[in-house]
Amino acid sequence: MLEIHPSYPALASVAEKYPTHRGSLFQTYNDILLAQQWRDVQVIDLARCKRGAIQGRRPRTAADADLLLHIVPCSLAESISLAWIQDVFAALANPPSIYLAVVSDDSSIVYYKLSSGIVKPSI
Amino acid sequence: MNGRIPIRVANKRAYVWDVDDLNRIRSDHRLCGLLVGTLPHLSQQNVFLGLPSQLTPEEATLLVEKEYAVFVDDANAYPEPSLSQFQQWSAEQKEYIKHQQAVLGAENTKAQELAQLAVSEEAIRKRKERELKRQQKAMELRKLQEMEGDPVAGSELPVPIPAVNAGPSTSPTSPSAHTQYNVCITTPSSALSWYSPDSCTYSTIEAAQEAGIWDFPSNLQDRARYGVFKDLWEQGYFLGGGIRFGGDYLVYPGDPLRYHSHFCATVIESQTHSIQPMEIVAHGRLGTATKKTHLFCGWDDERKTVSYLSIEWAGFG
Repeated sequence: MLEIHPSYPALASVAEKYPTHRGSLFQTYNDILLAQQWRDVQVIDLARCKRGAIQGRRPRTAADADLLLHIVPCSLAESISLAWIQDVFAALANPPSIYLAVVSDDSSIVYYKLSSGIVKPSI
Repeated sequence: MNGRIPIRVANKRAYVWDVDDLNRIRSDHRLCGLLVGTLPHLSQQNVFLGLPSQLTPEEATLLVEKEYAVFVDDANAYPEPSLSQFQQWSAEQKEYIKHQQAVLGAENTKAQELAQLAVSEEAIRKRKERELKRQQKAMELRKLQEMEGDPVAGSELPVPIPAVNAGPSTSPTSPSAHTQYNVCITTPSSALSWYSPDSCTYSTIEAAQEAGIWDFPSNLQDRARYGVFKDLWEQGYFLGGGIRFGGDYLVYPGDPLRYHSHFCATVIESQTHSIQPMEIVAHGRLGTATKKTHLFCGWDDERKTVSYLSIEWAGFG
């Protein structure tokens, strides 16, 4: 990650604290802020999970535009578990749902919504 | 055994052979089973399947655990019939054969009666008239062709129809003795008077496992699958096989004949079991594409509880 990138200042503290995960954090932050054009984008430190996360609101034109949503990035190459996911929920004070950003080496990102409990499909 | 449904176990698989039992299992206990009976002469088709119904290990275990059903060790439920039982069975078979022969013989009589009609006077006369008309037409056509100079047409004389002796019609023959018959093997064993399942019926999973006729659940994976199945069932859902949607179970809000499933469930055998992010991508994408939510159902083997995680595509990105 380039320290000269304009996004760096916002990510600096969390990226330096958890260097293993700074790649996926950097990619996700830029995608959310610049490509998905979310508002009120902030980086959070999930100390319990030893990585950073991102919070923000969707563009004004989107559904649920005012909800504060949370995204936790991970790499396609990692292994996670249900316990890991539950730690993320707990660290974010148990929101109804979180978004997992899966980042791969070629910088592709896919976002999946994880909700605790049995939640009927939204379609 | 006190109105409990008999599940007949063969080779550690659970079968239901009685359609009334099947009805109770589905309407009273929300379990569907799967019909696996093929047609003997068309065993490769699977559009029409009949009895028996095969219950999955989870379904059978649930029914016995909740005391709705018992396991019957089917192989050991057939002792030798007594002499009188055998004689009665033999007499019934002979009756049935006689009955078949009588019915088929009567059908033969009908066929003969129809054949008789064909040689009756009326029929013969009508046939003669038709034949005469046909020959006249043929002659006229030939004359026309001769006039047009057709070299093929010869001068054929009409073939006279031999006069049939229109004597008195013979009396219908007596029904022929029909020697062929079918041997019928009834599907439910309970039709046989010497079938005695009482001595090899097991009303608990443990008893069946000890007797060696049932295994499930036998390891952590089985326990996790069963735990998730039972938890979802207790919440009122109908459960089906999930292979069509890449999961372990399909979860229906009501009978599958009336509803589409809302969820596809995957069993995760422990909270620390390793999950690849690619699995979340694959399951989530397939679920969303088929209007379902994918459920990751985590089993806690110590607390014997299930935790649920619903996965959907985010809709952006």
